[in-house]
Amino acid sequence: MPDDLKKRLKELIVRQLKLEMDPATIADEAPLFGDADGGLGLDSIDALELVLGVEKEFGIKVQDEEVGVKAFASVNALCDFVREKAA
Amino acid sequence: MDFQPLPHAFPFRFADGVVERTGPAEGRVRATVTANAAAVRATGFPAAALAELVAQSALLLQGGDAALGRKGFLAGISDFSVERLPVPGDVLTVDVAIAGRLGDTVKLEGVVTDGEGRAVARGAVIVKQGS
Repeated sequence: MPDDLKKRLKELIVRQLKLEMDPATIADEAPLFGDADGGLGLDSIDALELVLGVEKEFGIKVQDEEVGVKAFASVNALCDFVREKAA
Repeated sequence: MDFQPLPHAFPFRFADGVVERTGPAEGRVRATVTANAAAVRATGFPAAALAELVAQSALLLQGGDAALGRKGFLAGISDFSVERLPVPGDVLTVDVAIAGRLGDTVKLEGVVTDGEGRAVARGAVIVKQGS
């Protein structure tokens, strides 16, 4: 179920990055990286931690930084990426 | 202020030499804690310096050479625990393995062991490659 996957991904983001926030407060479309309004403001080190978390949780291999940045643009993008890879 | 890069040469070089190389930036490195090392404090070799030692060990295993300049720098520390602070006279071995990589950012798992074979520190460091 898509909503379950988004919830799982938000929990993964908070857990993997040790963020002190409620996973439910992460907006589906909010940018994960950069300083845009409503975004999480993550950096390249956070990206690596997230990649490792996704690889471990879903058994998905993220090949390079370009794919990583695109796939990790938002929770929605990450959700699409995981669904596509898991299909 | 103009920041100069920290040199991986004395007094900021902690990793002595490669014992065994098992892969790119992976293997075992030796390090001796000396009384006149700049990092040593009254309490011993500091925890932060142990994390730096793991990062330097990986760069040394990768082929970095202090005389030729850095190939990366310590960018983060993750779940790094210290059992005891090494003291002058301790001969340490550092086992390093790559946990993951994304572009020029690499996460390395390290275990620092003393001459008795006891782990003195273990955890992960993040290294950004490039000078």
